[in-house]
Amino acid sequence: MTQASILSVQKRHGWTAPAGAVLIAILMAIGGWQLGHGLYIKAKAQLAQMLLDSAWNESLRTGTPHKAWAWADAWPVARLSVPRLEISEIVLSNASGEALAFGPGQMSATDPSGKGLRAIAGHRDTHFAFLKDLQVGDEITLTTLDGGKATYSVTGTQIVDAATTNLDPTAENSLVLVTCYPFDAVARGSLRYLVVTKQVIS
Amino acid sequence: MRSLPHRSAHHTGPRDAIVFIIALFATLFAVTGLLTVAAKADGAAARNGLVTLNDVQSGTLLLNSKEPGKYVPAPLLATDAKIEVTGPMARARVTQRFINPGEGWVEGKYVFPLPEDAAVDTMKMIIGDRVIEGKIKEKEEARRIYEKAKAEGKKAGLLEQQRPNVFTNAVANIGPHESVTIQIEYQQTVHRDGDRFSLRFPMVVAPRYVPKEAADPQVVDFVPGSGWGTTQPDEKDLPPGTAHPGNAPDLTQPPVLDPEEGKVNPVALEISLEAGFPLGPVKSSFHKVDIQRTGKEGAKLSLAEKVVPADKDFELTWEPAETAAPTAGLFRETVDGKDYVLVMLMPPSGAVQPQAKPREAIFVIDNSGSMAGASMPQAKAGLLFALDKLKPEDTFNIIRFDDTHELLFPQPVRADRENIAVARKFVNGLSADGGTEMLPALKAALNDRTPNATSHVRQVIFLTDGAISNEKALFEEIARHRGRSRLFTVGIGSAPNSYFMTRAAEAGRGSFTHIGDLAQVKSRMAELVNKLEHPLVTNVTASWPEGTHTESWPDPVPDLYKGEPVVLAARMDKAQGDLTLKGDLAGNAWQVRIPLDAGETRPGIGKLWARRKIASLEADRLMGGDYEKTDAEILKVALAHHLVSRRTSLVAVDVTPTRPDGEKLESRDMPVNLPDGWEFDKVFGESMPAPVMRKAMRAAPTTMLASAQSPVMDSAQDRGLALPQTASDAPGLIRNGLFTLLAAFLLMLLWRRVTRRG
Repeated sequence: MTQASILSVQKRHGWTAPAGAVLIAILMAIGGWQLGHGLYIKAKAQLAQMLLDSAWNESLRTGTPHKAWAWADAWPVARLSVPRLEISEIVLSNASGEALAFGPGQMSATDPSGKGLRAIAGHRDTHFAFLKDLQVGDEITLTTLDGGKATYSVTGTQIVDAATTNLDPTAENSLVLVTCYPFDAVARGSLRYLVVTKQVIS
Repeated sequence: MRSLPHRSAHHTGPRDAIVFIIALFATLFAVTGLLTVAAKADGAAARNGLVTLNDVQSGTLLLNSKEPGKYVPAPLLATDAKIEVTGPMARARVTQRFINPGEGWVEGKYVFPLPEDAAVDTMKMIIGDRVIEGKIKEKEEARRIYEKAKAEGKKAGLLEQQRPNVFTNAVANIGPHESVTIQIEYQQTVHRDGDRFSLRFPMVVAPRYVPKEAADPQVVDFVPGSGWGTTQPDEKDLPPGTAHPGNAPDLTQPPVLDPEEGKVNPVALEISLEAGFPLGPVKSSFHKVDIQRTGKEGAKLSLAEKVVPADKDFELTWEPAETAAPTAGLFRETVDGKDYVLVMLMPPSGAVQPQAKPREAIFVIDNSGSMAGASMPQAKAGLLFALDKLKPEDTFNIIRFDDTHELLFPQPVRADRENIAVARKFVNGLSADGGTEMLPALKAALNDRTPNATSHVRQVIFLTDGAISNEKALFEEIARHRGRSRLFTVGIGSAPNSYFMTRAAEAGRGSFTHIGDLAQVKSRMAELVNKLEHPLVTNVTASWPEGTHTESWPDPVPDLYKGEPVVLAARMDKAQGDLTLKGDLAGNAWQVRIPLDAGETRPGIGKLWARRKIASLEADRLMGGDYEKTDAEILKVALAHHLVSRRTSLVAVDVTPTRPDGEKLESRDMPVNLPDGWEFDKVFGESMPAPVMRKAMRAAPTTMLASAQSPVMDSAQDRGLALPQTASDAPGLIRNGLFTLLAAFLLMLLWRRVTRRG
């Protein structure tokens, strides 16, 4: 390269050196933080299930609710499993934003008689990503704190708008799994994907 | 620049520019990507022309479409309504005539919402000149009877309660061009707001366009301004001169009419009003009416224009003439040898109210972790609002709790400026954290240092989302230690545990208020504070005549507050002797004796009693009673009183089959875009505006999947479970992070190239 051409490049791109370095540094910092935080959320979701698993076993052994860590606001209330998809997850006692970060949560005001609707919500990008793979006829097993086991069969799926739709808590003997829709959306939206099931009475 | 020895500055310029542009684009995309995806998610919610049961908020006859769970609304011809208002209750008989405009045999489904306390007891189906009366049966049995008749080609009707305020009526085997008349009778209580009583009759039958913000369940059951529309074919899609375009085959996406069009469905309406107290002004809010007074307490009215288009709800309001003390109203009915009475207690209205006593207000605020996010600011705003409304002669205290609890002041203090300032600072400093241990806080709140004091009214105002598991223990605590305190629960957030809070308020002889978002804080708290400031009659007890077995609801009798009527429904062997109501009216003993044999006989009192009993049983069931037993009890009461309930349905079956064997029932989809609607102007002499197509609706993508089983759903205006947010930030963060890093990497390439050259 000739001296002249280097000079001309320096002249044309003279501004890029300091400004570019700063811009790159900022972008890397932001990008790194975002990626890290995103991965942290996923990792937390995975790790929490392991801790919850031992808390659940402890709960089953003692028959009383047992928190996975002392400051937790939610505790394990059930184990949800789908044999076909080899899914087994611990369900937490509420579906608040905090609880859902660690596991699927049982929605409050679910009929305490156990005969009415049970609704369990989970994040579409972590614990409840498997909902999209559920098919009509799939069996879902729910083990509750008292050691009781109920089997549900998927009867259908539904996409609803959370702004205009609520669940009917009196629908009998059914379990509804709730997650956000669409599954691959990046932003939060008001659509929800529901998996509707009916208890299999054996 | 050894790696690129042959590249000259002349060439790298444009290439660098391209890389730079890509980098910029990637950054930009990372940011805007979020927005576009969000927009896409919203777009997916756009409705096509079909409706599901959940879309329907007013009576509509729905015809099955090709898509399971989706229906095509059938044209509605005419409605005739007769409503009798008796004191706090109204009995409505609504007759609606529909036709099947198609060529096939169809099964229709008629969906109609009613007030939560509405009792549907009669359903008649009139086909041609046949009248088929619905019979009350256990829900499963009714469905079996209906399905059997349907398969046999018999005409049948099935009226079911989907939820306490939504009913469906299925009609099987409606023949081609046949008309079906459905007559439904129901009971409801009138709405009361302060001194103003009102009754709404839903006329609007185009729920698909109901805007979200208009669906306020408390005030507007049926949205005014939208109208019923029949669907008409898009002229463009029809060959010129087509007389009968109903054969257009594409019914899964039928065109939908703009709601402003098609003011068909003429309605005739008559109301007889017996207020139960001396009547002040009687007004119709939106329609011209002819009003004829019948004595001091009554009026009869009908539409001045006889028939009006169903484009807005009918609302009737009436007010009492001024009274100085509570007046009691009494109505009675004898059913199957039992006497039923309805007693109404009216708080005084107008300017002559007795002076209210000062209050001792104990505020309990939940600042546990579950309140984090939107709930905490709402609870704080609600509490601050209530603090502002305290008067200097009132006393107050604040208790906050998470897994610990603390009292702001060791004991209730005067609501002077200094104390209020301390309290405001305390409330503003609260943040949501920790677990939820409600019982100790509740105990502290109910701990009354002066249980026998009568100078102040003691009120506990509990602000929480109710995310708790030990409901029973709390409930017992309230029932046992309530004393003179009254418990008012304020549910915070989008999904508070309203079962617990409603029941807790009932046990605490107070009321439940729900604040769903920050915008509602002021209006809802204002209503509550107004009530708290005006407790009129407290410690109400009802003594029924001795020697007769009496079952009355609600039990215990709640206090009388400003703007609230108290209504007692009772059943007894023989309504004679005196009912004595005692209470404490602004510091003075108050007593009313009502001779039970004096009441005016009115039909429907028994049904109201039964409906209240069912509501009470449902509440017990949810609070954890013997489920089998309460279910059996509900079934028993509903069957005895011919009421549709969660356990019972009305079913009507025609004896003779009408559908020929060879004809399939739901095989043909219903063309809703028949021009039959045009016959309305001939029938009723009204000129109909030319329908305008809403092409945008037709073009909407069908993204809604439907399942055959849908009754788990509830429209948001019912008290169902709100669906939580179920997506974390992770995908967005990861994606943005990757794009940003990519942008940084590309920029770095560019930068290195430039600096190496230097």
